[in-house]
Amino acid sequence: MSQLPYKTILCDVLVVGAGGAGCRAAIEAAKHNLDVVIISKELLGKAHTSMAEGGYNVSLGNVDPLDDVETHFKDTVVGGAYLNNQELVEILVTDAAERIFDLEEVGAVFDRTPEGKIAQRPFGKQSWRRTAYASDRTGSEIMVTLTEAIRKSSVRVFDEVFATKILVHDGRAAGVCAVDLKYGDYLVFRAKAVVMATGGAGRIFKVTSNAQLDVGDGYAMAYEAGAALIDMEMIQFHPTGMVRPESARGRLVTEAVRGEGGILLNNRGERFMARYYPQVMELAGRDQVARSIMTEVLEGRGSPDGGVYLSIAHLPRSVIEFRLESMIEQFADAGVDIRNEPMQVSPTAHHFMGGILIDTDAQSTIPGLFAAGECTGGVHGGNRLGGNALADTQVFGALAGKNAAEFAKEHGLPPVDRDEIRDEFVRLEAMLLRESGISPADAREELTTLMWNDVQIFRNEEGLSRAVKELRRIEKEVVPNIKVDIQVKRFNPGWHQAIEFGHMVITARMVAEAALMRKGSRGAHFRTDADPNDDGLYNIVIRKGDDGEMVLEKRDLVITKIPPP
Amino acid sequence: MATKMFKARVFRYNPDTDDAPHFEEFDVAYEPGMTVLDTLLYIQDKYDSSLAFRWECRGGQCGSCAVKVNGTARIACRAKVDPDDGPLVLEPLEKMPVIKDLVTDMSRVKERVRRIRPYVVRDKPAPRPEIVHAEEIETLREIRKCIECYACLSNCPALRETWDYAGPMIIRQIARLELDPRDVEDRIAIALDESVYACTTCKMCEDICPKSIKIPALAVELLRAKAVEAGYPLAEGQQGFIDQINKTGRSVPEKDTPLLRSLESEEFLVDNPRGRVAFFTGCLIDYRMQGTGRSLIEVLNRNGIDVIVPKQQWCCASPAFRTGDLKTAHDAARRVTKIFEDVADKYGLDTVVVACAGCGKTLREDHRPFIAEERGEPPRFKVYDLAEYLIDVIGKENIVPPKGELDLEVTYHEPCHLGRGQGVVDQPIELLKMIPGVKYIDDPYKNRCCGAGGGVRAGRRDLSMKIATTRKEQILATGADMVATECPFCTIQIGDMMKGLDVKVRYLPDLLAESYRKGDEET
Ligand SMILES: Cc1cc2nc3c(=O)[nH]c(=O)nc-3n(C[C@H](O)[C@H](O)[C@H](O)COP(=O)(O)OP(=O)(O)OC[C@H]3O[C@@H](n4cnc5c(N)ncnc54)[C@H](O)[C@@H]3O)c2cc1C
Ligand code: SF4
Ligand code: SF4
Ligand code: FES
Repeated sequence: MSQLPYKTILCDVLVVGAGGAGCRAAIEAAKHNLDVVIISKELLGKAHTSMAEGGYNVSLGNVDPLDDVETHFKDTVVGGAYLNNQELVEILVTDAAERIFDLEEVGAVFDRTPEGKIAQRPFGKQSWRRTAYASDRTGSEIMVTLTEAIRKSSVRVFDEVFATKILVHDGRAAGVCAVDLKYGDYLVFRAKAVVMATGGAGRIFKVTSNAQLDVGDGYAMAYEAGAALIDMEMIQFHPTGMVRPESARGRLVTEAVRGEGGILLNNRGERFMARYYPQVMELAGRDQVARSIMTEVLEGRGSPDGGVYLSIAHLPRSVIEFRLESMIEQFADAGVDIRNEPMQVSPTAHHFMGGILIDTDAQSTIPGLFAAGECTGGVHGGNRLGGNALADTQVFGALAGKNAAEFAKEHGLPPVDRDEIRDEFVRLEAMLLRESGISPADAREELTTLMWNDVQIFRNEEGLSRAVKELRRIEKEVVPNIKVDIQVKRFNPGWHQAIEFGHMVITARMVAEAALMRKGSRGAHFRTDADPNDDGLYNIVIRKGDDGEMVLEKRDLVITKIPPP
Repeated sequence: MATKMFKARVFRYNPDTDDAPHFEEFDVAYEPGMTVLDTLLYIQDKYDSSLAFRWECRGGQCGSCAVKVNGTARIACRAKVDPDDGPLVLEPLEKMPVIKDLVTDMSRVKERVRRIRPYVVRDKPAPRPEIVHAEEIETLREIRKCIECYACLSNCPALRETWDYAGPMIIRQIARLELDPRDVEDRIAIALDESVYACTTCKMCEDICPKSIKIPALAVELLRAKAVEAGYPLAEGQQGFIDQINKTGRSVPEKDTPLLRSLESEEFLVDNPRGRVAFFTGCLIDYRMQGTGRSLIEVLNRNGIDVIVPKQQWCCASPAFRTGDLKTAHDAARRVTKIFEDVADKYGLDTVVVACAGCGKTLREDHRPFIAEERGEPPRFKVYDLAEYLIDVIGKENIVPPKGELDLEVTYHEPCHLGRGQGVVDQPIELLKMIPGVKYIDDPYKNRCCGAGGGVRAGRRDLSMKIATTRKEQILATGADMVATECPFCTIQIGDMMKGLDVKVRYLPDLLAESYRKGDEET
């Protein structure tokens, strides 16, 4: 096929993704008197970050004065099962305070202590009450604030633009190929530095708390571009997702419910956490609570709809109404008044600890390609503490924005390879033109079911091998044959799904291949057939080999302060 | 069990290929708890993967998915489907150009948001940490929940007529910043520039808002009150009302003999009463619609209710509450409370009946919380709208049926301050249907604003007339001979619009009384 028409947009710094991390990066980069462009698949302000509920971890010590960065560091590394890159953790815990003040500076309104400081609530596996919040709509507060800050800044916003490929020239990031979702035009963004802030990939699982957009585009694009990724097997299943109605399945029930005193009960009315983690009970780590719930369900002590009960009916109404307002609303929609009745909950795919490998400048292994937020790996290790992800978006968003700006100032605009651009758009166009093929909806159903069945909370060799085999087949046989039903480019969700599908498969493969490689249990990765000789104290790094095959390598941990016991 | 199916009629439009939009009908399998978003996803999955609509979080958190559901904007992921309620009609939001199907172009509003400086403006760097007390952000906390879903823009009657008005979402943002102790910008000047006085306080936005943000009270009226406090003058027409209230206790000048003066007594007692109420007339029934006042007394008496009509009444000061003159407003609230508490004590009653939607809303939503807060105890009487009192308190089965046949096709106009202001929606229609001969014609737009309220008729006559014209067209489309309503302002406003046309505008108590009287003649 010949050249398809496209338009090229130039800028100094391109930020891909407008969630907490992307917006923060764009705002920071724009402070350097540069032309900054931010693109996102959804309208500005609607990113997944707006769904975060519980809060933002920062050791301000406003409620528990003994809290400090050292304790936050330790909690994060212990919570991460020692797999975290401790250099990155250091940055996270050190900068979290300044970054939350940045948010307040532009208008965020967090809930207060009686002295008028930012209030902090307890969250799982943390030594102190550390999680700053705005009721249970903290992410929304942050997203709204960042949206306003973007509107104040000189950042140019191209929302509803879907990046499909990272362009690399002479080993340096040069921009992206993209589709304007509104009108279907092909676009090329050329930049001196690129920041990836594309979020997670919960949507590769059938049951997930994630927004529609979280399909793993960023992981797949970075992989295709040759960047290294780390810890992709580490996926957090949040213990409390909604169970009913079916269409709400997987929607998050915030950890704040347990933080505020909610208790978990099985169908016999037993507070079963006493059996698994009697010291911490409901505030055990997310993986621990998730496995406990699954065990109850698998052993026949679950609720009729396949979950367990979470009750806050014993708490004062005023507490529920003031601190858990979204939960009241969310369950009222499902016909449950949580002030009086228990919620039914079960685990849901929630967070990707792994992602693009970054250094302490938030730069990936490709020069000029920076990354921040959930699309990166290393900060959270084997498991993320509730509240650390929002802090991550702000800390590393700002860092990536700053370093991308500095990089852009020191480097010229790299050229792009026009054949590569042509091939990319031909690939996208082919999904529309193909005479016959597989529908994206069917393909996605197959993939998400496979991942949910074989690469979930309890993993084993058999399931993982099967998943890997199937995924390799899907990659070879299904992806090249995806066919959009209706040949329209203007806002066509069928086409968007088709493009996403390729990214989902690559992401899913990285997850499954790494999970298969890791024989022991560690962090969120739990093997029912764990090899006792595998201490698990390594990271798995993935990249695309020169021959186009996926290469996985074990790598030594980055330890600065706390060696694993 | 067989799956229940329902029909969804969905707006389709691809301007690249279609000359005009059309509707496409789909059969959808119902599941309990199903939302509009589930419906759209079902259609996308089963019939047409190119059907365009936006969504992200499926839980009312991101604000992507607003569409018009059976004529009123809602966020799709939280709007429940009723499979027995006829076809589900889904359309894009109003006021925004369509990109494709249900996806609209929001750029105009986004630009508009930008121009109000929508962030906390500071004149010096923020201290770190910054001390802000919980009390300072209490109201702010309520109105900052907005998820920018744009739904409230779609059905705002003022915005529908003019982009001079910034619309509820943006006015809310201005108030959110005005309430922020850290913000130094002159938000009042911005609010005035964005036409905060264009809002009719119809509460449509509040009803639509997925976060139930009380935009008229917590944003519009708050900003207006701050404007008055800052010394900005009201529009001439609005100030006229206020002066009149302060001088005479009535918002309009006297013309014919007022009802209260012409009544022979303040007691209208019946034999073996089954209840006793006080009648709050409001300014217009007293000064302009004396006949309606008499009808109300008659209707209640015929139903065995003693009616006390205190001769010394005072305006509820709705115009002052709506336009921001809080001094006049609060004086009136204290005064009205005292008058009716005295009457309640004297006559041993605890119920006040109102036939003016605006007065009823003001007594309930404005006086009550204000008095409760000021003195620690709310007014010692309950307030009912007439129709609500008849249906809910007397009880439909106990109402003396009106017998006189009125051969009319009647539609109903729901006053904003009755339906959304007091939650009285079905009762007036039930009463209408009780009148023999009346054929009730439902107007799908019956709850749309007529443009009279919020000081708009007084202050922005041009805009008020545009809103009324839109409403007139909707009423005419029903083909009814008569439109009944339960508010003097709506009656006057719609009456003005219908001048020279065959459609009559009648007040509900008048229609009831007419049927009773006609029934007497016949027997
Ligand atoms: C329900 C829920 C509740 C949570 N609650 C908390 C909490 O209380 N505390 C906490 O710390 N963490 C919480 N988390 C985790 C946290 O919300 C996320 O990790 C964080 O918001 C991720 O932010 P981000 O900026 O990295 O990405 P996102 O907010 O996911 O944004 C990704 C952006 O990238 C864009 N993008 C992706 N692919 C492309 C592409 N191909 N082209 C263009 N743009 C693209 C998207 O459009 C989007 O703008 C929660 C997560 C969930 C699911
Ligand atoms: S109250 Fe009515 S007129 Fe005022 S902003 Fe809301 S919808 Fe518009
Ligand atoms: S005020 Fe309510 S309806 Fe309006 S945009 Fe905000 S959330 Fe939506
Ligand atoms: S999908 Fe997010 S508000 Fe409806």
